[in-house]
Amino acid sequence: MPIDALSDPTYLRSVIRLSLTVSLLAVLLSTAVSLPIAFAVGFADFRGKRFVTAVINTGMGFPSVVVGLLVWYALSNRGPLGTLNLIYTPEAMIISQLVLATPVITGVALSAVESVDDAVRDAAYGIGGTRADVALITLKEARYGVITGILAGFGRAISEVGSVLIVGGNIAYADGTSKTRTLTTAIQFEVRKGEFETALILGAVLLVLVLLVNGVVLRLGGR
Amino acid sequence: MNFELERASYGVDGTPILTDISLAVGAGEVVTVIGPSGAGKSTLLRLAALFERPTDGAVRCDGTEPWSLPRGDRLALRRRIGVVFQQASLFETSVARNVDAGRRIRRPWSSRLRGFAERLTARWIHGSPTVDDRTLEALELVGLRDEWDRDAASLSGGEAQRVSFARALAPRPELLVLDEPTSDLDPRNTAILERAIGRARDRDHGVLLATHDMHQAERISDRVAFLLDGELVEIGPPERVFEEPRDERTARFVRGDLLYDENELLV
Repeated sequence: MPIDALSDPTYLRSVIRLSLTVSLLAVLLSTAVSLPIAFAVGFADFRGKRFVTAVINTGMGFPSVVVGLLVWYALSNRGPLGTLNLIYTPEAMIISQLVLATPVITGVALSAVESVDDAVRDAAYGIGGTRADVALITLKEARYGVITGILAGFGRAISEVGSVLIVGGNIAYADGTSKTRTLTTAIQFEVRKGEFETALILGAVLLVLVLLVNGVVLRLGGR
Repeated sequence: MNFELERASYGVDGTPILTDISLAVGAGEVVTVIGPSGAGKSTLLRLAALFERPTDGAVRCDGTEPWSLPRGDRLALRRRIGVVFQQASLFETSVARNVDAGRRIRRPWSSRLRGFAERLTARWIHGSPTVDDRTLEALELVGLRDEWDRDAASLSGGEAQRVSFARALAPRPELLVLDEPTSDLDPRNTAILERAIGRARDRDHGVLLATHDMHQAERISDRVAFLLDGELVEIGPPERVFEEPRDERTARFVRGDLLYDENELLV
C-alpha cells in the first residue's frame, strides 16, 4: 500500500526522528573526533603541517557519493566490516555522515583555533594554566568559529542524500514507519513518484529543522 | 619568594639570546631590566616566568630549581608567579571573569564544572552575574572596581592593561613578572599602573619589570639591571646606575648615545 507522506503523521514523525537522530549523532561523534585533531594540528608546529591542513581542506569537498560507495563497500558482505551487518541500517548512515562531516568541522575549527592570538595562549599559561587549561581557554576564544564548524557539519550531514541513499537504502517498513528513510531521501522518493507538492512540504520541514537546530546551538554558544 | 637566575643562558638553534645572566629578586623588591629593543629583555622575563627553560645555568625559586621538579610541582611554583605582557590579551568575557580566571583554574575540576553550571543557571534564569571580594580587591588596586561587570572588549587599551594587571595579581602571586606593561599607555594609565606596582611591592610581592622607559625605571625600582645583546652589563640602585654607571655602554645608553643602525649593529 503506498504511503501518503502528509496524511500519515506516524510516517512523517518517524522520518523526522530518524533524520535528526542520525545527523545529530553523526555530528556529535564527528565533533568528538574533529576538535582534538583541530587542537593537535592548530597547537603543534611540525613538518608537514601544511600538507595535513591541505588534506583536511580537501576532505571538506569530498564527493558524498564517493563516500557512500566507500562506506557501502566497507560495510557490505564482501567488505572488511561486513560481519558487523550494518549495511542498510541507520548506523551505516551515521558512519557515512560522520565521514562527510568530520573534515568540515575539523577544517573550520582548525581555522578558528589558529586565529586565536598566541598572546592569548601566553596569557592563559601566564595565569597558571596547564596545557588543558590553555586548550580550554583557546576553545572559548575560538568558540564562535568552532560552533560555525559544527553547524556547517550538521548542515552537510542532514542535507545529505547520495551517500545515505547508498548505505541506507531509503527503506520504510510496511507499517509506514521509517527504517532508513530520512527527510532528504523521502524528498527524492516523492519527486520520483511525481509528488512535487509533498516533496516541497518535506523540504520546508527540513529547513525548519535546520533553523531550529542552528538557533539552539547558537543560543548555547552565547550568541 | 626569593627568585634567582644563576648564570642562566638561553639560545635557539645554537643562536645565543641570553648569556650568563645572574639576577635575584627578593620579596618586596622591584628590579627593573632596561635595555634597547632586541637586547633579550622579554626572553629574560620568559625564563623568570618559567615559560622557557634555560639552555644553561639555573633558575631558583626559594632555592628550588623548578626545571628539576616533576611537572605538577613545577606548576605549583609557576602559580606563585604572575605575568603581565605588553599586550593586555584579555579573554572574551567580562572584566570580573578575566580577573577571576587565574583563581578559577586553580580550583579542582568538580568545583569548576559546578561553577560553570551555576553560571549557566544564573545567566538563563536570574540573568544577573555576580562578583566576589577578591576580584573587587584586585580591581580596586587598578582603579576599576566599578567596572567589573563590563565586557572586556569594551575597555580602552589602558583599562585593558590595568585589568590584565589585576588578573595577574588576583591569585596573589609572590613574584610579578611585567614585560613592558606600560609601553602602549598614556601618562594617566601609566601612573595608575606604577602606583599599583608600588602597592604590590608594599604587600611584599617581588616585581621583575622590563621597560625601555628609563624615567619609569628610576621612579619605581629598587635596583636596575642593564641588558645589552643578551648580557647583563650592570646592576645596582637606580641612582647609581643612572648617575654613576660603571660600564661605558650603560653610560652611553643613559645618555641616549647607544643606538642601533638600520642593520641592528651597535654604533
